[in-house]
Amino acid sequence: MEGLTHVQTVNQDAVVTTDAEQPKGRAIVITSGKGGVGKTTTTANVGAALAARGLSVALVDADVGLRNLDIVLGLESRVRYHLLDVLENKVSLEDALIRDKRSPNMSLLAASQTREKDDVDTEKMRLLVERLRAQFDWVLIDCPAGIEAGFRNAVVGAQSAIIVCTPEVSSVRDSDRVVGLLPRDLEPRLIVNRLRPHLVRRGKMLSVEDVNAILRLPLLGVVADEPEVVVATNRGEPISLDPKSQTGSAYRSIAARLCGEHIPIERPRVSFFARLGTLFGGR
Amino acid sequence: MSGRRIVVTSGKGGVGKTTTTANLGAALAKRGRRVALVDADIGLRNLDLVLGVEKRIVFDLVEVVEGRCQLKQALIRDKRFENLWILPAAQTRDKDAVTEAQFLRLTSDLAENHDFVLIDCPAGIEAGFRNAVAGAQEAIVVTTPEVSAIRDADRVIGKLRERKVPFRLLVNRIRPEMVRSGEMMSVEDVCEVLTSDLLGYVPDDEEIIDTTNRGEPIVLDPTKRLGVIYDRIARRLEGEKVEFSKLEEPGFLNRILAGWRG
Repeated sequence: MEGLTHVQTVNQDAVVTTDAEQPKGRAIVITSGKGGVGKTTTTANVGAALAARGLSVALVDADVGLRNLDIVLGLESRVRYHLLDVLENKVSLEDALIRDKRSPNMSLLAASQTREKDDVDTEKMRLLVERLRAQFDWVLIDCPAGIEAGFRNAVVGAQSAIIVCTPEVSSVRDSDRVVGLLPRDLEPRLIVNRLRPHLVRRGKMLSVEDVNAILRLPLLGVVADEPEVVVATNRGEPISLDPKSQTGSAYRSIAARLCGEHIPIERPRVSFFARLGTLFGGR
Repeated sequence: MSGRRIVVTSGKGGVGKTTTTANLGAALAKRGRRVALVDADIGLRNLDLVLGVEKRIVFDLVEVVEGRCQLKQALIRDKRFENLWILPAAQTRDKDAVTEAQFLRLTSDLAENHDFVLIDCPAGIEAGFRNAVAGAQEAIVVTTPEVSAIRDADRVIGKLRERKVPFRLLVNRIRPEMVRSGEMMSVEDVCEVLTSDLLGYVPDDEEIIDTTNRGEPIVLDPTKRLGVIYDRIARRLEGEKVEFSKLEEPGFLNRILAGWRG
């Protein structure tokens, strides 16, 4: 209960002012179709960046059976209750929310690991997201890969969508398919993830323009493929909290854009080592 | 003749199932085996792109199952490997369009004319996964040395054990310099965590991004390191004793760069 009290305090400080009975927060689903393109990493990092701006954030892991958001946040040892426990009224929402270690105004609702996606009741899921929106400024829903039941349940409560796409033809095709399946009013925006600028320069990887020539979505951000992201993820520490990291800065800009700030999209630059590699690689 | 039906699965998406299926299939075909590749990712097919046959699709898996065309009409023969066939998934249908029994029937039919039937499983553990596994006698579990991929692989392995499907591991996208600096799990660590036998491991190589985007299996080019590695994995799959190679060792430049970075 202590966690909830804190969350409410934060809410009062937040800029959003609406009727107390109306959900004031915004729910966004982070989706992609293809797996392994960085949905969970994006959810964790954008969430942490929003929380660092003083906003209250709930992260929902909708990947029932294959949860990972808890690991990326380093909270796996603190998961006691999960999404299905709440949906099935076994515990209260407050008891199931896990407060983040580093960002006190960010909480996680973990997915169940031993259950199936078909166990989720779509209507209850919609109501749950609505309840979360009444308590938090932002609700970020980490969608599972694919377009089966898990996808439908992750999308049901959302008001907008972020499409995460890597510069690969297979990811672009799956993103395109998902955009077609999303309800129109979700107005998806695009994050191009894992860009390797030196490969783009050599014509060995699709550019952001190539990707968006097909998808034609408003661009929310571009994130480079850096080993530091893998390291941070394995450690359970969002890189968006590292003020020195360029990748972290890309996530912070995405959070700022979500809040309505107009920041030009910064493009990852070809690093010194990559340039050196190109030189020696002779390609 | 009845060929081996093998599902390539992982739990987590994006770890390289489709790339593995395409390249192992091509490596086996190159060795003279008759190989059928089945894309089980109905609704989100990609195997056709990776093999560059997307423009040649006329019929798909669902149409075969529903009896709207013959199996051989839907099979696309690869232009580079004459022993390699691809059965594409339907793009505009759901995974529920096919049942487990239908899938088993389909792959059994394919096994009558092919030495190997490799099934490219969709991500997740929903209906698409159950179908793909129902059609297989054995499995290759693809994982990367990341905590999230390993956890998902563990979950999938549990399901394979429940179904008594034997499997071996393929550890993908190893970055030796990161293993050495302690920032990435080693192949041994991964096998130990998952208490599984190793079929092979593949280093992270930028080359694969480009060949995949162009729809060309890297196995096609005998000068490419990854091509040699997939060939060795194919031989191991056939039961040959092939030592785990030193190919994963980083090149001279990488070692210098790792030193500077460290």
